[in-house]
Amino acid sequence: MSRPGGTSGSAAPHLELRGLGLRRGDRWLVRGLDAVIPRGAFVAVVGPSGVGKSSFLSALAGLLAPAEGEIVLRCASGHAHHPAEPALQRRTGVIFQNNLLTPNASVLVNTLAGRLGRHSAWRTLFGFPRADRVAAYRILCDLGLGAQAHRWSCQTSGGEQQRTAIARALLQEPDLYLADEPVSALDAYLTGRVLGLLRQEAREHGRTVLCVLHNAELVERFADLALSFDPADPANWKLREVRR
Amino acid sequence: MSASKPSPASAPAAEKRVGDNALHPSQKPVHPAEPPPPPRINVFTVTLAAFALAVIASWPAMRGSGRDLDTWGNLSRFLGHFFPPDWSVWRETLRALGETFQIAVLATVFATLLSLPLAALGARTLAPAWLVAPARLLMNAARTVPSLVWALFGVAIVGANPLAGVVALTLYSLGYLGKFFSDAFESVDADVARGLSALGANRAQAFQYGLWPHAKPLIASHVLWMLEYNLRAASIIGYVGAGGLGAQLASYYEYFAWDKVATVLIFILALVTLLDLLGEWVRRRITRSLGVRR
Repeated sequence: MSRPGGTSGSAAPHLELRGLGLRRGDRWLVRGLDAVIPRGAFVAVVGPSGVGKSSFLSALAGLLAPAEGEIVLRCASGHAHHPAEPALQRRTGVIFQNNLLTPNASVLVNTLAGRLGRHSAWRTLFGFPRADRVAAYRILCDLGLGAQAHRWSCQTSGGEQQRTAIARALLQEPDLYLADEPVSALDAYLTGRVLGLLRQEAREHGRTVLCVLHNAELVERFADLALSFDPADPANWKLREVRR
Repeated sequence: MSASKPSPASAPAAEKRVGDNALHPSQKPVHPAEPPPPPRINVFTVTLAAFALAVIASWPAMRGSGRDLDTWGNLSRFLGHFFPPDWSVWRETLRALGETFQIAVLATVFATLLSLPLAALGARTLAPAWLVAPARLLMNAARTVPSLVWALFGVAIVGANPLAGVVALTLYSLGYLGKFFSDAFESVDADVARGLSALGANRAQAFQYGLWPHAKPLIASHVLWMLEYNLRAASIIGYVGAGGLGAQLASYYEYFAWDKVATVLIFILALVTLLDLLGEWVRRRITRSLGVRR
């Protein structure tokens, strides 16, 4: 299997979906989804509103149990895991659609929360190690949030909150990024900057990215693969290579 | 390509749809003539009806003794004994007030520390179901016993001194704060905590970084309320020997020295008002900083 559109990184499979079926209540969102996503691929997840894109990412994050089939994540050594395992969640960076930030905690602390999985509860009881704080501040500066670091996240704008959520995921340095509309509140420049960073993560560090995007132009510009869902027929999903 | 799907014929159609924002035919909006009416019977209307029935059923309590009493004359005569207040007792009143304040502060601090873990055990969102019921039962039991009866317990355990008051009000406040904190933990948005768990945080970390910051303003507000409440409660438990103003009040009451009682009440009022203003200021600062959200 060759890595579509990729220039570097391993072509080993990272994510395997075997006959995956997801449902919300009585409604099937996806059925019979069979796909293999190679490590380091940037996959755009597309489809109209309400089709089940967020549910699909939730299932990959271990927050929604599949109704049928299974999701297998392979670590670098080839061992298979399932998304709900705590050790694996630590290596899965989720950018939630509604950001899920703590409103009365600073932008810096919200970002640092991405490193919680690396430390014991005792270590983080009174704050984070200096190295983490330095790394978090660097990422915030990269995303133009350096001046906001000590403001409560509820005192920042919608776009700044979205970038804080992105910074949290970047600081986590996960194997797999699950980004649910990560640029919906950003302007054209920041959209390019954020998707460029995620693409760099995929290319240079072999970190697989699954990103919900609504803009066809962005899909063509950044993605290697595009996975689309059909609201009328849950079994009519498509995975295609993006040609540039 | 890794996609293995038994419908190769529709592949070009899929390419066309990628990134296409147009609504699918199944999602086309429909326009009915008017919105359907909301349901008439809901939790609110049922509760309101139940409350109205409760008021009707409670009305016999308004009957009183049934005798023809000079109500207003009694009131004005009794209140007349309170004026003018006898300020000569200010020195001992101030000393007793200090003791009352100490009892209230310590009881509130100890109750806060003890009720945080108890509240976590009593919150359905944090603890397993089999622990929630016993924890809630314990808090209900603590609330059921009046503060004066807790004071009797305190005096029986550690003797007639202010420590008895601290013990009594700690146990009494535990019931209230435990319930308030449990409700606070249950009412705040737990999605952030769940999100942090999905990023690999353990339960303690998800609580500290995801749930605690949300609950903190509510908790601070409840603690201030409890301090104010304990200050009033600590003024009465001296009746049974548990320290504070109560002992003084009891002796004045015994000798019908209502003008001295008036002085004590004015001192309590001043302290409670001061604390209320302070509490209000702190609460406003907390909520104002949270008010500018999103």
